[in-house]
Amino acid sequence: MKKGSSEALLLFVLFATLTGCKNCNPEECVQPPCNEIATPYTIEIPPFFPPMDIPADNPLTEEGIELGRLLFWEKELSADGSMSCGSCHLPSSGFADPSAVSTGITGAQGLRNAMAIVNIGWTPSFFWDGRATSLEEQILEPVSHPDEMALPWNEAVLKLQNMSAADPTNYPQLFARAFGTSEITPDLVTKSIAQFLRTMISADSKFDRWRRGEVTLTDAEFAGYEIFLKEGGDPEITPGGQFGGDCFHCHSEAGLQFSDYLFRNNGLDSNFVSDPGLAGVTGSPLDSGRFKTPTLRNAALTAPYMHDGRFQTLEEVIDHYNTGGVASTTIDPFMKYNSGGLMLSPVQKERLLAFLHTLTDTTFVSNPRFQDPH
Amino acid sequence: MKNQQNKNSVACMALLITSLIAVLSGCDPNDPEDASPGEILLEFSANWNQEPFALGDVVTDHMNHLLRIDNLQMYIAPIEMRNERGDWVEVEDVSLLDFELLNQRITTSLAVGTYDALRFGMGLPPEINTDIDPASYANTHPLSVPGSAGMFWTWSSGYVFVKYEGKFATEAGVQLEDPLSYHCGTDASYRTVSFDFANPIIVESNKSTEISLNFNAAAALVGEDDSVDIVEDPVTHNADGTILGARLMDLMDDAWTLTP
Repeated sequence: MKKGSSEALLLFVLFATLTGCKNCNPEECVQPPCNEIATPYTIEIPPFFPPMDIPADNPLTEEGIELGRLLFWEKELSADGSMSCGSCHLPSSGFADPSAVSTGITGAQGLRNAMAIVNIGWTPSFFWDGRATSLEEQILEPVSHPDEMALPWNEAVLKLQNMSAADPTNYPQLFARAFGTSEITPDLVTKSIAQFLRTMISADSKFDRWRRGEVTLTDAEFAGYEIFLKEGGDPEITPGGQFGGDCFHCHSEAGLQFSDYLFRNNGLDSNFVSDPGLAGVTGSPLDSGRFKTPTLRNAALTAPYMHDGRFQTLEEVIDHYNTGGVASTTIDPFMKYNSGGLMLSPVQKERLLAFLHTLTDTTFVSNPRFQDPH
Repeated sequence: MKNQQNKNSVACMALLITSLIAVLSGCDPNDPEDASPGEILLEFSANWNQEPFALGDVVTDHMNHLLRIDNLQMYIAPIEMRNERGDWVEVEDVSLLDFELLNQRITTSLAVGTYDALRFGMGLPPEINTDIDPASYANTHPLSVPGSAGMFWTWSSGYVFVKYEGKFATEAGVQLEDPLSYHCGTDASYRTVSFDFANPIIVESNKSTEISLNFNAAAALVGEDDSVDIVEDPVTHNADGTILGARLMDLMDDAWTLTP
């Protein structure tokens, strides 16, 4: 090599180092991010939504997402081949369970209502009690849970592994395309399903379109939105009360998520013996009866409501908040349980209901990319 | 002769590289301001009239009401320290304190030098309080959608500056079920807490300096010039500018002490 070339190379390396060139640092490459087999997939973030944090060890790929869709709807992931994830997350119910609590393959019933799958890529914790802190971790549970799909993971991966070219779905080949290996593991199954679920984005409700300036809300819907945004209670009793619905505190419209994803006791019960909620995870008595705030998106489709599915209609839900709930040591201070409730009139309740219906996204629930491909 | 040429070439390259580094980094090693910065460790803790205190503890307020604070969160922005030239130097732009964590720490770097005062805004300055979509921040930012969970009102009314929530009872022997819910905010409620150090703090290169800031949660309800009766005034969500929220912010302004 000529001296001039050597110096130029040295300068280039020096310059690249000083300017922080990050191209192709082998130490930063972990599988599957550097998997050159799969096709990277970029999430399109809807207007007014926050960024979505994708785990560094599970980047989205076309092949991973499609595999995840197959697995989400795969009944072979249950012990008797009768039940898939989608069995409790029905598209017609906003990807929630229309039953109060879900029934597993043995007939055993769970404790809580299956939460709706919608914009789950923005959710920081999972289950009503937040016991899973990642989507991948959440997906691990139902397959092997004895009251749900009841299939131990070692058997689950064996079933998938043995579905060869003779079967309708050749999973080893699909895993090879998605992850560069045909060796199926629980980790890769959950990663794949998580990729699929992160693509399940709802951002085309009437409210979204109104927010983008594409449509107008009716007078009743807009009045309901104003009730949603106003402080609750009679100002003569509750300082700052605006006779509103007090909804926005917990179902925050920040990032158009309609939930702050925090945990609250919304005054359903006076004790929590049957279900301690978050306290069952943290052990703190201050967390007794606290459950995750669900999003209001597609609320009109996701009946029944609350963690135990006790309310059949949105009208019942509104009535519950209107009464203020039941006192306890951990009831959320937003609840107006000791000051006469929200005091919404029948007309106000109708308007609030009209607003809630603007959060229904039928293009989301009928999106062919989310339906059962089997 | 050829070796000498090579040596000259190597020396020339070394000089060139050194010059390039200096130019690109803008570094003058003879300038004290270019010395490696020191580290400031700010530790925030809460007490109840100087007694140890944690969320969930049942305490007694200035009117002998039994009280339990379940949630105490607060935005502080910015934190600044005053250097020997009298300039306020930003230590941290925005932080959300959550006293569920007993002792919270903010660790940041600061230029070497002598500092004689510290101040921080309690709440958010107007330019970052309203009209900025939380979704525009990275999710790790304290003003982002997940970072501000439970602390964001609306686009027009901005963020909750302080949340002071709990339960109280007016007599002993009964369950604490009456709600206490103070949510203070709005631009008019922004306050600045200032301290002059008894002895100036010297920040040295590559060394850590610790400062402790203590919040007396009892003093949020009573001070020299005002007091709040939690039975009479158990709630304020002053997005609409109710007076109680501003009074509480004034009281909390005086509730801080500093231990250098």
